[in-house]
Amino acid sequence: MERQRKAQLAAALMAVVGQDGVITDEDELRVYECDGLTIFKARPELVVLPRTREQVEAVARLCHRERVPFVARGAGTGLSGGALALEGGVMVGLNRMSHILEVDVPNQRAVVQPGMVNVWLSNKIAGDNFYYAPDPASQTACSIGGNIAENSGGVHTPKYGVTVNHVVGLEVVLPDGEVVEFGGKALDPPGYDLTGVFVGSEGTFGICTKITVRILRKPEAVKTLMGVFESIEDASNTVSDIVAAGILPACVEMMDTLSIQAVEKGVRAGYPTDAGSVLLVELDGPRAEVEALVDPVSRLMKQNKVREIRIAKDDAERLLLWKGRKAAFAAMGQISPDYYVQDAVIPRTKLPQILREIGAFSDEYKLRVANVFHAGDGNLHPLILYDGRNEGELHKAEEMGAKIMRRCIELGGSITGEHGVGREKRDYMPLMYTPADLEAMLKVKRVFNPDGLLNPGKIFPTTKGCVEAGAVGRDGLRYRPHRLEVMGLAQRF
Amino acid sequence: MGDPAGLARRAQEIVGAEHVRTGPAAAPFAVDGLTPGVVAAPGSEEEVSRLLAAAHGLEAAVAPWGGGTKTGLGNPPRRLDLVLSLARLNRVVDYEPGDMTATLQAGMTLAAAQAHLTQKGQFIALDPAAAARATVGGILAANASGPRRLRYGTARDLVIAVRIVHADGAVTKGGAKVVKNVTGYDMNKLYVGSLGTLGILTEVTFRLYPLPATEETHLSAFPTLEAAGAAAAEILGSPLVPHAVELLSAAAAAAAARAANVPWSPGQVGLAVMIGSVPDAVHAQLADVARFCRGAGSAADHHLRGAAHSACWEAVREFPGPDAPRSLILKGSVPLTRVPELMSRGEGLAGQRHLACQAVAEVGPGIVRFSVDAGGVPPERAADYVETVRGVAAELGGHLVVLEAPLDVKRRVDVWGPVGKALRLMQGLKAQFDPKGILNPGRFVGGI
Repeated sequence: MERQRKAQLAAALMAVVGQDGVITDEDELRVYECDGLTIFKARPELVVLPRTREQVEAVARLCHRERVPFVARGAGTGLSGGALALEGGVMVGLNRMSHILEVDVPNQRAVVQPGMVNVWLSNKIAGDNFYYAPDPASQTACSIGGNIAENSGGVHTPKYGVTVNHVVGLEVVLPDGEVVEFGGKALDPPGYDLTGVFVGSEGTFGICTKITVRILRKPEAVKTLMGVFESIEDASNTVSDIVAAGILPACVEMMDTLSIQAVEKGVRAGYPTDAGSVLLVELDGPRAEVEALVDPVSRLMKQNKVREIRIAKDDAERLLLWKGRKAAFAAMGQISPDYYVQDAVIPRTKLPQILREIGAFSDEYKLRVANVFHAGDGNLHPLILYDGRNEGELHKAEEMGAKIMRRCIELGGSITGEHGVGREKRDYMPLMYTPADLEAMLKVKRVFNPDGLLNPGKIFPTTKGCVEAGAVGRDGLRYRPHRLEVMGLAQRF
Repeated sequence: MGDPAGLARRAQEIVGAEHVRTGPAAAPFAVDGLTPGVVAAPGSEEEVSRLLAAAHGLEAAVAPWGGGTKTGLGNPPRRLDLVLSLARLNRVVDYEPGDMTATLQAGMTLAAAQAHLTQKGQFIALDPAAAARATVGGILAANASGPRRLRYGTARDLVIAVRIVHADGAVTKGGAKVVKNVTGYDMNKLYVGSLGTLGILTEVTFRLYPLPATEETHLSAFPTLEAAGAAAAEILGSPLVPHAVELLSAAAAAAAARAANVPWSPGQVGLAVMIGSVPDAVHAQLADVARFCRGAGSAADHHLRGAAHSACWEAVREFPGPDAPRSLILKGSVPLTRVPELMSRGEGLAGQRHLACQAVAEVGPGIVRFSVDAGGVPPERAADYVETVRGVAAELGGHLVVLEAPLDVKRRVDVWGPVGKALRLMQGLKAQFDPKGILNPGRFVGGI
């Protein structure tokens, strides 16, 4: 963007949000150049920080009129490069719209602004014995608007589902500045389920400015069991047996030896560092139900040669058992300068197989892999450890990640369970979807975001068909063959 | 469309003459008085695709047809040339109990699917009416659900993947056969509840649930809806995890009690609470439910198990039942605390208009279903009733949809009611997915 045009745009934005609501300084803008996945960077030319829906509307109208790309950003904790200003332009930071607008406990609903930090809602209603169920690992930092964009999960998804299962209404500013409402406190609004389609659209359909969510009564009882196993197979077989017994835990989380060792170097959660696997199973619900299920779960662990079972006696012990799991990503810094996290999903019964294959890839690429996963829903988080200072290691990590993703698809899975496609995985979309499948998605995008100005360059593979003519692709990006494409690991249409 | 004979010929070529009906044989497939020229039952997804492509070429209007249990839903179609029956697509495609997922062809009935899954102690957690005839594809298209939605949600929560044939015959999939997936847009959400206006579902993958070890029911009689509603509010605000909490108007309660073979005093309203879990937890929770009901002034309390429990819920699920004059059925949605008020005002307004009315409500989700006998009633009066109750639902923070109505009533009301400014987006979606407007034209919101 030319200097003069940028200055004009900044002035116009300041007229909307005030002097202190626009960031133009290059050093300050650097904060906004990436999200939690730092390997991709793209600096916006301006950041605007609206406080009201009316200001978001005015910003959208301005960008639309001036044909400036723009992208919304919550807390910047995303893990797929979803909130990157790939084409420069304006970033709309929603941190100042962080209020809880209404708590309606009798109707089991809350209405919040997009910049509200996920855990604030549960904190606010804890005194009423209510909570907001989706709990991504970043819940103390991530914003609910970002959760809407990514359809965030969390550890309680086996029993309680993901964000979309808890969102019942949205107020949205469309890319042309028009405001629409989908749903509300009452369920089953007539017409297409636009709330359902909007959640998980990764910021490409509009900017939500008001969100109505379900809030749930806290369970009467919670019991957390930790099983220490000699091997990941034994832990994995335990999970299968729990499923076969018709038991539905609130969470089932698993970690392998390397993850355990990293965690113990970091937060010291008390996991035995020589164990092959740690399995965390949490049961919640009415006290009589939880108490009746502890024994069967313990018995199934014993049948699978568990070395040790710890059952948290109180909340403090429970939090200690969870501490290691919650800190697992961060703890990788203890054993590796860098890591690259994957988010593929497989049908749960394929878990032992994919773990063997990941082990083989690890040997082949001579890169260590720590495995942390949501075993209850088949969502893997292999953490590929590398050292970015060594020439080519990041590329090796990416390449190995691509191979893992491809195998997950071949086993009937998905390339991302909760982190989103964003910038990172857009060229892997054809691994999973045919051109016709992608075209159906693009039809929806064209309805919400016909000019493609809002959050360009995300989700969809860059277009190859336009290369020869040197034209700009559908999402405004020039085609450059990716290394993985040259290797035949990913392809575009 | 000007060439019904051409359409019939193409259909016969694609699916075989034995699977095509024309003339009087097509009469049972009429929708709101419009009889299709052709009814065809393809035997594969590929045949569905070829049939739709042919219809698209001829600009023939198509209505997909599962079990025919929801043909009353929607505004009268603008036109109807071809009914596409999914009856022959009725197989289990893929079932892996360890993954707790099952992929079924869209024309399989819910009852057949459940019979298959029950063998492994699992089930599709949807319990709409008419499971023996309703197909999984039809249930999705109509977004049908039942009392257990309190515990398990609706199709939008349970469907993880679909295959769908679009208006021009293109076949796509949405989602994946894993329970957690955010790869690309969640197309499943778009198709659930779209009443066949965006495409025809051919395959559905569900996440499954384990069958509860035990399910039992507490049924209480109350003198007033307010008292029963107060008990329901206590239960829903407590840490109990009921699978269903249903408020029953006097007539509906009497029917449920009769089905469960328990005595019932005329005029008493009912509150039925279903608990499912391991036996100890069921009994502990039922004791708490009984305490809440007595505290709110219940006049009689019944503990239903086994056949009585099943029969009670069958009566609720199949409300108003096969023998009831079911001419006008409405579904109101409001925030849950407003359920008793919507129910009593809806009944009162019916009384003022000399309309016989009964109602049942899923209190947790805030859904009230009214069944009104509009037989012999001037359609203006029935239409006026719909609009008035719709106004009450709006006043209480919700909305109201007509599930079934006589044609002369449908011609006087919009069965869906207003959808606000979002209509522009919905019309845009329809134009993208079905630009020629051949799929169920006119039946959905805003004339879509």
